[in-house]
Amino acid sequence: MAGLTLRNITKQYENGFQAVSDFNLEIKDKEFIIFVGPSGCGKSTTLRMIAGLEEISDGELWIGSDLVNYRESKDRDLSMVFQNYALYPNMTVYDNIAFSLQVRKVPKKEIDKKVHEAAKILEIEHLLDRKATDLSGGQKQRVAIGNAIIRKPNALLMDEPLSNLDARLRAKMRVELAQLHKRLQTTIIYVTHDQTEAMTLGDRIVVMNKGKIQQVDTPAMLYEHPDNQFVAGFIGSPAMNFLRADVKHNEEIYSVTLEGKTVSFGKMSGYKAWILKKKYMIREVVMGIRPEHIYTEDVYEKMEEKENLSLIPVTIEAKELLGAETILYFRVEGERYCSRAAADCQIEAGDQVNLAFDLNQAHFFDSESGINIVHKYQ
Amino acid sequence: MKKNQSVLKKMGPYIYLLPCLAVFAIFLFYPFAKTIYLSLFKTNKMGEAKLFVGFENYADLLASKSFYNSLIVTVIFVLIVVAISMTLGLLGAVLCNRTFPGIRFFSTAYALPMAIASASAAMIFKIMLDPSVGIVNKLLGVDINWVSDERYALICVAVLTGWLNSGINFLYFSAGLSNIDDSIYERASVDGANAVQKFFRLTIPNLEPIIFYTLVVDIIQAFQSFGQVKILTEGGPGESTNLIVYSIYRDAFFNYRFGTAAAESIVLFLIIMCLTLVMFKAEGKGKDIEKSAGKKRNKRISKNAAGEGGR
Repeated sequence: MAGLTLRNITKQYENGFQAVSDFNLEIKDKEFIIFVGPSGCGKSTTLRMIAGLEEISDGELWIGSDLVNYRESKDRDLSMVFQNYALYPNMTVYDNIAFSLQVRKVPKKEIDKKVHEAAKILEIEHLLDRKATDLSGGQKQRVAIGNAIIRKPNALLMDEPLSNLDARLRAKMRVELAQLHKRLQTTIIYVTHDQTEAMTLGDRIVVMNKGKIQQVDTPAMLYEHPDNQFVAGFIGSPAMNFLRADVKHNEEIYSVTLEGKTVSFGKMSGYKAWILKKKYMIREVVMGIRPEHIYTEDVYEKMEEKENLSLIPVTIEAKELLGAETILYFRVEGERYCSRAAADCQIEAGDQVNLAFDLNQAHFFDSESGINIVHKYQ
Repeated sequence: MKKNQSVLKKMGPYIYLLPCLAVFAIFLFYPFAKTIYLSLFKTNKMGEAKLFVGFENYADLLASKSFYNSLIVTVIFVLIVVAISMTLGLLGAVLCNRTFPGIRFFSTAYALPMAIASASAAMIFKIMLDPSVGIVNKLLGVDINWVSDERYALICVAVLTGWLNSGINFLYFSAGLSNIDDSIYERASVDGANAVQKFFRLTIPNLEPIIFYTLVVDIIQAFQSFGQVKILTEGGPGESTNLIVYSIYRDAFFNYRFGTAAAESIVLFLIIMCLTLVMFKAEGKGKDIEKSAGKKRNKRISKNAAGEGGR
């Protein structure tokens, strides 16, 4: 077990394409860290560089106090769970789990003990002498994890381990992985494109896009204080709504014009309002607002503080009942947005309604760089 | 009417098979039957069966020192050929199982022996092995009369044959290797396995079905080698390279003893058939053991499951 340090890690292919550029990260010992991002963002490449399966073009990779750039994969003492599980088809489940100890020439008795321990944790003891090819997806997944946890490696690498499972099994395994991490006390580096997995599993999340780190933070911080528009849009489901807004000075009341409608935020307090006034007057910004911060009229009526809430008339285009909640889709000047409402919401598709936008909860991003204005002028 | 139709329906498949069967009958079944027939006769110089002698030809064979020599030489020859052709093929395939500049050139080079006729390859080897102008002696700095020395002649022919057969093996092994998922090698690297461990614990076991198939084909092919012997050594020096097939040729077309030659052919056929059957049995047994073990396990598991259900 050890922490990992990635310094200016870069991956450049021969054709000049940079898959990862200038990646800096300190991973603490026993941390559960998640690399998340859309496909092609370089998260898997970074993981493969850590594993030693991909050459590092530039930068330094430290495991504990060792520089391991030029150390072969087999000598880095890591273990890895692959997306397709990569079980050895010619071996039994037992040998699949025991392989990493067998190649290290660990005494057979010790291997046997450890295999049974791992199998017990993962509830696959009854499968031990089955061929790896005879297993179902979920069982293969467990075997792959079994192989990874049988040693005490420096770090446990997981490359989209749940993406081949069906939704129900995935939710189940997610919980088990979290428990497993608590139990094993190992550093885990976990790659996924699924932000739900990232939010539920990670101690910290590394959001990546186009080979660059966008933000590294805890799930809650990412959700509440996204550094830029990409992170804001990527984290959270349904995704955050983005609107173009003009900041205007109007008889001592500062207001934003949303798609032609002036919405006051005159009494909006705090740093956000102050920056808007100071730096973005008569300029365009991107306003981001999460679906749960756009309220229906009946919710609006019941609220006490209404100063920073602005009612905007919209036509509901579609309604999705998800059981515990309802998602309402509507358009403002061609762009589609959504709002999260209660399950018993009576609004139907085609209705003309007023929706309240909670400006206190809104994020504002620089329209050119996409950076959160609060972070830009901190 | 209906009856006719049903008869036609039943006959249909056989009618389609007829052309193929005809070809087999003319070139395979008839010669085979004729060989068996001839092996029971003494023949004249035209190869016509003249005097029925029953199993006398076989009895003569089994009493002949020369025939036993042929058998031993053939077995040694087959062992060397199979070892060389399998090793070369596998080595080439493993080396070419990754991309690097010039991979196409190397792949073609390793597969090429299968496109070379054994006779022309033998001619080239004959020149290379020539004691006075051959490149082999020049390179090794020795003075050996390769094909005329009893100690080396068989090895020379076997090495040539092994190399010739390695081309097709390379192709089979390459196909087999490309079927193995790359990610298991990546996992093995992370798991800490070195190249040797990966080769023996992953590559060989996963290639096993193809290795077995290639082994069977190689053995059969090696038993039937003829062209290279005819050109390189003509069975000599002495009888040191007198393989069974060559001995059949010699008996039939030099000594005009077609009956004896036919009997030898039948013996060769029986040897190859038995060997193939034994190998398939052995392979099948391996599978059976696995299967029955699997069944037992499954039974145990289902029992356990039932027990849990009962509880």
